[in-house]
Amino acid sequence: MDFLLISLLNGIVYGLLLFMVSAGLTLIFGMMGVLNFAHASFYMLGAYLAYAISGHLGFWAGVVIAPLLVAFAGVLTERYLLRRVHAFGHGHELLLTFGLALVIEEGIKLFFGNFPVNYTLPTQLDFSAFALSGMSYPFYRLFIAMIAVAMFAILYLLLKHTRTGLIVRAAERAPAMAQALGHNVPMIFTGVFALGAGLAGLAGAIAGAFYPTSPTMALDLGAIVFVVVVVGGLGSVAGSLIASLGIGVLTSLTVGMSFRLADLASTIGLGDWAREVGGLLTVPVSAVSGAVPFILMLVILLSRPAGILGARN
Amino acid sequence: MTEPNNTGMTRRGAMGAIAAFAMLAQSRMASAAEGEGLKIAVIEALSGPQASSGMLFLSGIEYGTRKINQAGGFNGKDVEIVSYDNAGTSTGASSRFQQAVADGCHLIVMGSSSAIVSQLSEDARKHALRNPETPMILINVGSGALAMTGERCHFHNFRMFPIASMSVAALTKVMGDEGTLGKKVFTINQDYSWGQEFQAAVEGRAAQGDFKLVGSVLHDVNRIQDFSPYVAQIKASGADTVLTGNWSNDLLLLIKACADASLGVRFGTCFLDQPGNIGNAGVSALGHYVSTLSNCELNPEFAEDFRSEMGHYPVYNETGATVGMGFLAAALASMEPGETVDVEAIGLAMEQTEVEGDNGLQSMRAEDHQFVTPLVVSRVDREAKYPADDTDMGFLPVARVSAEELIYPVQDSCQMPRPT
Repeated sequence: MDFLLISLLNGIVYGLLLFMVSAGLTLIFGMMGVLNFAHASFYMLGAYLAYAISGHLGFWAGVVIAPLLVAFAGVLTERYLLRRVHAFGHGHELLLTFGLALVIEEGIKLFFGNFPVNYTLPTQLDFSAFALSGMSYPFYRLFIAMIAVAMFAILYLLLKHTRTGLIVRAAERAPAMAQALGHNVPMIFTGVFALGAGLAGLAGAIAGAFYPTSPTMALDLGAIVFVVVVVGGLGSVAGSLIASLGIGVLTSLTVGMSFRLADLASTIGLGDWAREVGGLLTVPVSAVSGAVPFILMLVILLSRPAGILGARN
Repeated sequence: MTEPNNTGMTRRGAMGAIAAFAMLAQSRMASAAEGEGLKIAVIEALSGPQASSGMLFLSGIEYGTRKINQAGGFNGKDVEIVSYDNAGTSTGASSRFQQAVADGCHLIVMGSSSAIVSQLSEDARKHALRNPETPMILINVGSGALAMTGERCHFHNFRMFPIASMSVAALTKVMGDEGTLGKKVFTINQDYSWGQEFQAAVEGRAAQGDFKLVGSVLHDVNRIQDFSPYVAQIKASGADTVLTGNWSNDLLLLIKACADASLGVRFGTCFLDQPGNIGNAGVSALGHYVSTLSNCELNPEFAEDFRSEMGHYPVYNETGATVGMGFLAAALASMEPGETVDVEAIGLAMEQTEVEGDNGLQSMRAEDHQFVTPLVVSRVDREAKYPADDTDMGFLPVARVSAEELIYPVQDSCQMPRPT
């Protein structure tokens, strides 16, 4: 029972971390239609900047300043790179952000080296929140979860219940009309992109201290955040939250399962045959838990192409 | 770029000068030495995500080459190394292999990734079949995939690295002797050839009754971000020790997750010495073990010399690569200088070579070209001479385990045709 409880908790916290990284991505896609391949690189950039700043000004300064710097990098990216290729369509935007991801990765290696850097928690945050059946649960995991929940609440309220949110949504649905009403649409797009990048930077600054800050961290999370965004429905912040939690919990639960397809077969008397065939039939579920998000994505795409909460085109 | 005309020299004049210089250099070299120089190709991942380990292999090989040259080179000439970037892919490695052939290389020395090693080994096998006059030898200094000395073994493939069962044997022996192995062992590994072989090796040891295996799990390679579910599993099993062949992020995340849950297990590993691991894991790394080819603390003279050549103390697979290169150097030194580079003769010389290294007596098994090498087991400790990652902790060598205690029987699947 404790094992199940811990697994659930782990899954939820990991899911919230995924949400933190993917929220900016889905926001940028939903509002601007840009599929930003460099998103996970902004996450990495946030972690490295926070590491560099925390060495001089302390952990909290890093967590505050790094996302702002990453947001500024987002402004520059949108204003001077993306806007130029916008007219040529999504293909060009995609390629541009893909190139940007490579540049950021090699740049990080140039400045910080090939190996993980020592970005670790400050001691006052490094304690256990509670213990469950002899295993202590680090407070910082809960802290990550709290930040993610706060992030969701603010984003949701901002988009759905404020005048700013209204204008942003208007600029996305009917840019020409919003422009005609006197709103500066290009400026709104820059702002949205900066916000999305800044959120990724914040996630990096916070999660980088817990998970290793290394030049491969963008690559490690890159694929999974796309899965989250696709499963949740492109552009839906609430959908992202549901998808991340689902993926987190499913991954966490499948890890502990030693169930094999052969066991299923043995209930109808075909166990020996299945074990003889081997291959996929004798692979325990735990060995494929890393593939669970991708299987989930396939199922969702086949049954509900727009994602869980995505709007149909 | 300035036009040659601006410098007061015509284009033809400049070309002529370069050609003359080249001829001068050639004649000088020809008079200085008689034989053909040895060319070593290093085909490594020098860009992309695996570049971190590729660069270290390269610098270890570079150091080894400098040592050979300082001792007089080969055939009276300096050994030349040419590095090729395979970008971490087998296809990249294969095309770099063709390039190395075109550049006239004789040996390939590399270590990153079992997939790439097996690709290059196949390339070397086919190349030797098609070009019996100019074969090439692959010297693998970093991959433990069992098949390379099993069904895929051939004369032109040498493995200067332990397989999983050797590392597991060294770890369990030393940890057992130290009394830190405990009675219950859990093993967690990456789900591909190396991890599966590591798990099988741990199961084999458990069957001999050294300890009780209380759990084993395989997981996807470098795709898991959150290891806490596995930690819950380890906790539930009641293990004292976790043996793992994991490397890179998969090792660091696992150790951190165990520390975060205040799980007092001890780790026995093969790749804990990768830069960044100790700095990131912090004090929770203390007391964990790593089994490696060597440890530079066993020979401070070597450590200092490496530092004066390469600018830093040897770390991670730099040390392993220098062990392989040291063995190659001994084999080359045992050969008579000749007119040309006889690659087959280098291979035969390696089979005859025995080296008393820092770790103990090393040799090369002729039947399957497995390096018969002792291993060194080290513990993360504050007493270590060479601290890692700017911390006060480092790898303190605990014990050397001799080759005969570790070496496994030649696999039946290895049928190696000998050069005629």
